[in-house]
Amino acid sequence: MSDLPKKRRRLPVLRLAWRNTRRNTRRTVLTVVAVTVAVTAITFMFAYITGILGNLVDSYARSESGHVRIRKDGYTERERLMPVYLKVDGVSELLAVVREHPDVEEAVPRIRSSVLVDGAGSNRPGLLLGLDMDREAAYLNPQDMAVNGRPPRAGFAEVMIGTEFAEKLAIHVGDTITVLGQTAYRSLGGLRLVVTDLASSGMSFLDNSMLVVPIDQAQLLADMPDAATEILVFAHDPELAEPLAAQLKDSLEPHVSGDIEVLSWLDQGPLMRTMQMMRPMLAVVMGLMLLMAGMVIINTMLMTVMERTQELGMQAALGMRRSDIVFLIVTEGLVIGLIGGVVGAILGSGVGIWLEHTGIDFTAAARTIDLPFQGMAYPDWRVSFPLIGMACGICAAGVAALYPALRAIKMAPAEALRQ
Amino acid sequence: MNRTTAGEVGGAGGAGALALALLFALTAWSAQAQLTPREILERVDANMTMTTARVNAQMTITYRDGDVRNLIYDAWAQGTEQSFLEFTAPARDAGSRFLRLENAMWIYLPRVGKSVRIQGHMLRQGLMGSDFSYGDASENPSMVEDYDATLVGEEVLDGRPTYVVDLMAKPERRDLAYQRRKVWVDAERWVPLKEERFARSGKLLKIALLGDVRRIGDRWYPFRVEMDDALQTDTRTTLQMLSVELDIRVPSEVFTLPYLEGGE
Repeated sequence: MSDLPKKRRRLPVLRLAWRNTRRNTRRTVLTVVAVTVAVTAITFMFAYITGILGNLVDSYARSESGHVRIRKDGYTERERLMPVYLKVDGVSELLAVVREHPDVEEAVPRIRSSVLVDGAGSNRPGLLLGLDMDREAAYLNPQDMAVNGRPPRAGFAEVMIGTEFAEKLAIHVGDTITVLGQTAYRSLGGLRLVVTDLASSGMSFLDNSMLVVPIDQAQLLADMPDAATEILVFAHDPELAEPLAAQLKDSLEPHVSGDIEVLSWLDQGPLMRTMQMMRPMLAVVMGLMLLMAGMVIINTMLMTVMERTQELGMQAALGMRRSDIVFLIVTEGLVIGLIGGVVGAILGSGVGIWLEHTGIDFTAAARTIDLPFQGMAYPDWRVSFPLIGMACGICAAGVAALYPALRAIKMAPAEALRQ
Repeated sequence: MNRTTAGEVGGAGGAGALALALLFALTAWSAQAQLTPREILERVDANMTMTTARVNAQMTITYRDGDVRNLIYDAWAQGTEQSFLEFTAPARDAGSRFLRLENAMWIYLPRVGKSVRIQGHMLRQGLMGSDFSYGDASENPSMVEDYDATLVGEEVLDGRPTYVVDLMAKPERRDLAYQRRKVWVDAERWVPLKEERFARSGKLLKIALLGDVRRIGDRWYPFRVEMDDALQTDTRTTLQMLSVELDIRVPSEVFTLPYLEGGE
């Protein structure tokens, strides 16, 4: 670089560069396509990865963790056994306190209970979910799970059963089933319930074992009026979950007898921790993708500029300043990067935004995994993704042009001409 | 379960067993030294299995957190195959009934108003949340029929001389919940005083301690059974028999589904 002049030359660089790109259409198209493909891939994949992670986190929050979860102390330790006797009492009062907090969007009580379901003469263990049918609409959304749009109604002895679970028990809509389960006094309780609909959540572990009942029926079964096994709190801003948990614990303290556990979703279990750990890993993956895209561009650029060594030698022989040659070639690279980058950003964003609305159907795959993943993946397009993609495309093209240009001008013009 | 748990006072054998028991009672002390493990089991079976029985008992479940639940039940049993159990207290559990016919079991709860047959691994769940499983209540209580025995020693337990017998399920009884049992048998009264029950894997499942052994007619009967489910670490359950009547007449309609669902 030492022989580069310090003073800027007044050469119509942009015009020349633009003209050069049109001189060899094959060469230009090849490079532009390489940049376009790379930038499209980056824009879409960034949206896709962000979307998948967001979908998992969102599903988990709605089905399992809330943003803050309130339970009786000791429940979590024995969670596997679903001990209804470890219950949160006086739920209506607590819900009122929680809903008063300005950061709280909604708070819903839930009862989880391990039950024995007796259908047409055979029985199976199942997971009974007692839900506030109306308030859950935006969260676990029982209305959406109901295959025929007939979820059980609050106050009625009605139930909705996971599709596969119903199949195993040979139960149909309209049948009456018997459910046996533990009561809050640790003895045996039972209910007769009419099946109003089948439930499909898209989550295999639920569809295989789930029964959804209005929370009043779950309270009846477990003999625990105005109690729940947990309260899930949803915040306006999930980022505020941790301070919200601390504030709720303080404000609930005077209203509860015994100890309660108030945990933000980050403090609840390994899944969210794993998600948190995945973020830097995904950043690495995204970085590698950028690198790969850059390599594709660099490779193509190198090839097309190397091809022009002779031409560059000729220009040098004719007396064109070496710095001008480098500047011109790099500008050509940047122009190509810009064209490919803009096209790629538009294509990647188009696909990303389109799929963000229609979704990608993974229902078949989701049935085979035991994750709170609801089958549909929605990319999460953000304006930064095409910008990052374009920046990558333009920089890679510019940088890639620099090396062969420098190499060519270092040769004696005669040597370059010989190549 | 074995005949002492949940009041299922099983009674194998009928009159023949009774005669056998008498015979053994007469000759017990003189024959002890030459007893084979099988003979020990036969004597236990002879003492512990009755034609019919009626038991009233209190079940006390003690929880690790200090909570205690007391339940009272009435139970009837006939032979090894039929038993009926009804909880009478506390009020919220009163009327909960259980019927066993051979290896099948039905539960009736007043609020449900219909019986439910339980099967499979459900039989291993705790009866009313206790350390006794439903399956404990539907197992054939004859040790000789189900197990091969090995005498592993003689010990003094709570001041009583005992034979320590190791039982392995017979090859054709792979279905038994407890594939191995180690039993401390009172060497004079033919009552098990302690039992360890294992899964096929060798994992310890339950520990039973039997005590308050009283004489009823020509039999010895444990009035207290403590059961500890090794997998259900939160609890410990004690049965205290309040009254025990053996070899009495039991109305046969007790052991039917209509009676289970209809009551008196």
